Amino acid sequence: MSALAQVDAKPSMAWKRLRSALYFVFPLLCLVFIWEFTVRIFSVHPGVFPGVGAVLKAGAESIANGSLFLHIGASLARVLVGTILAVLVGVPLGILMGVSPGVSTILTPLFRFFSVLAGIAWIPIATLWFGYGFGAITFVIFNAVFFVVAYNTLLGVASIPPQLRNAAWSLGANRWDMLKEVLLPGALPNIVTGIRTGLGFAWRGLIAAEMIATNLGLGYMLFLARDFYRTELIVFGMIVIGILWLLIDRLVLAPLERRTIERWGLVR
Amino acid sequence: MKSLTINHLSKTYFDPYAAKHVTAVQDVSLDVPEGEFVAIVGPSGCGKTTILNMIAGFLPASGGDIIVDSRKVSGPGPDRGVVFQSHALFPWKTVLENVAFGPKMRGVGLKEREEIARDYLALAGLSHAAERYPNELSGGMQQRVGVVRALANEPAVLLMDEPFASVDAQTRMTLQEELTRIWQARRPTILFITHDVPEAVFLANRVVVLSKGRVLEEVEIDLPRPRSWDAMMDDERFKTLSARVLQLVRAA
Ligand SMILES: Nc1ncnc2c1ncn2[C@@H]1O[C@H](COP(=O)(O)OP(=O)(O)O)[C@@H](O)[C@H]1O
Ligand SMILES: [Mg+2]
Repeated sequence: MSALAQVDAKPSMAWKRLRSALYFVFPLLCLVFIWEFTVRIFSVHPGVFPGVGAVLKAGAESIANGSLFLHIGASLARVLVGTILAVLVGVPLGILMGVSPGVSTILTPLFRFFSVLAGIAWIPIATLWFGYGFGAITFVIFNAVFFVVAYNTLLGVASIPPQLRNAAWSLGANRWDMLKEVLLPGALPNIVTGIRTGLGFAWRGLIAAEMIATNLGLGYMLFLARDFYRTELIVFGMIVIGILWLLIDRLVLAPLERRTIERWGLVR
Repeated sequence: MKSLTINHLSKTYFDPYAAKHVTAVQDVSLDVPEGEFVAIVGPSGCGKTTILNMIAGFLPASGGDIIVDSRKVSGPGPDRGVVFQSHALFPWKTVLENVAFGPKMRGVGLKEREEIARDYLALAGLSHAAERYPNELSGGMQQRVGVVRALANEPAVLLMDEPFASVDAQTRMTLQEELTRIWQARRPTILFITHDVPEAVFLANRVVVLSKGRVLEEVEIDLPRPRSWDAMMDDERFKTLSARVLQLVRAA
């Protein structure tokens, strides 16, 4: 009895993780159950909405013939390249805005304007510039991530206490040292948050862009399946898109964000 | 010469709310010879921080000049180490990395600068905290590290703006005793700013009383060293000097 109570009071870290994962998965499993149940009870036509079995079969097929991995690979490559480019341009620009009120005054209205447009609205012009495929879609991703990252970097720089910069100057730092030793590390938690938020937008934009501007990728997979009335493949694709994002966010982005913030004691 | 001289320093702020100019510091001249410990004391709002920020180079002066190490200075530089009221340690660096920061900026190699940092940490009894992060330390320890970080860069002058104002009374007394001990051991040139009269008298060789942005009077503190609070509590000379300075500050 007492041993049990103790286990209850102080569950180990691994058990806590497992439990929160179960809490997360359980409602989704319920949804799958209700879905299958509904399809059977009302004898829904597979052309309107497929049953669980058909979707799994379509999934197994696309795994067996390798097409799923081709699409996933294409989508992830675009996201990766777009994000890296956006960070490479967005972070320096955000820092420049953070240290220079003049630059930030000039750029802020432009940022306001373009952040409304960031995303799907760029697809027509992007396809004119880059043609259909990798370039156009990567550009859409870039746009979605770039503005958020630059803006968050600006916020990050602004959140560094002025005394830290003063301390660095009086310890002999030059401009380059200031950037490397104070501004970048000081803004890093915000930068990581920006990347996470921006990628959330980018993922949505990606699927939309891939339906229009390419012949490879998860969005295209959905669109193609529609042309052949393969609802089971459409639903499978939707599930993959959702799960893939959850995995990226929960296993990569969220821990990264938590670690940078906790490590530096910025949250007390 | 690791000395600090201020000639006719003044500062006028523009107050945008009242839409008029406010004189915070007026014609202040001061001399801190090499190896001296001078304290500026005065009520809050009398211009202490403004003076220190001008010397540190964080704030441009409206008039007068500042000479450190026989050179006129403008803008911040490693010849003037600063200890802030809020510790201003880099939260993403360990204590050791914080203390080694000045030497790193001078281009000292990793091994050598860590050695320097460890020496200075040992001087303040902080060796055990070298690998910790600032947010894992108590307020008193953070201030100690702040002092050590400034010292480790071996500045010509050490500027301290109420560095112990935000720690509890007992810790403050310990920190004050440690500072006098370190000062005796290394003899840095120190300009220390405070509104706390006993603190100024306990620490300094000379106390400068500031009033409404002007120097009211300078008082020599000829108390023997090493100084400890146990001895000072009943020291007649300490009481007399404190009373004298307190009177000046209250009249200010
Ligand atoms: N940035 C500023 N703009 C306008 N007035 C200021 C500014 N900073 C300080 N002052 C004024 O200058 C005077 C001296 O301030 P300060 O140097 O901070 O005093 P102390 O450090 O002795 O408390 C005060 O009256 C204060 O209101
Ligand atoms: Mg002050």
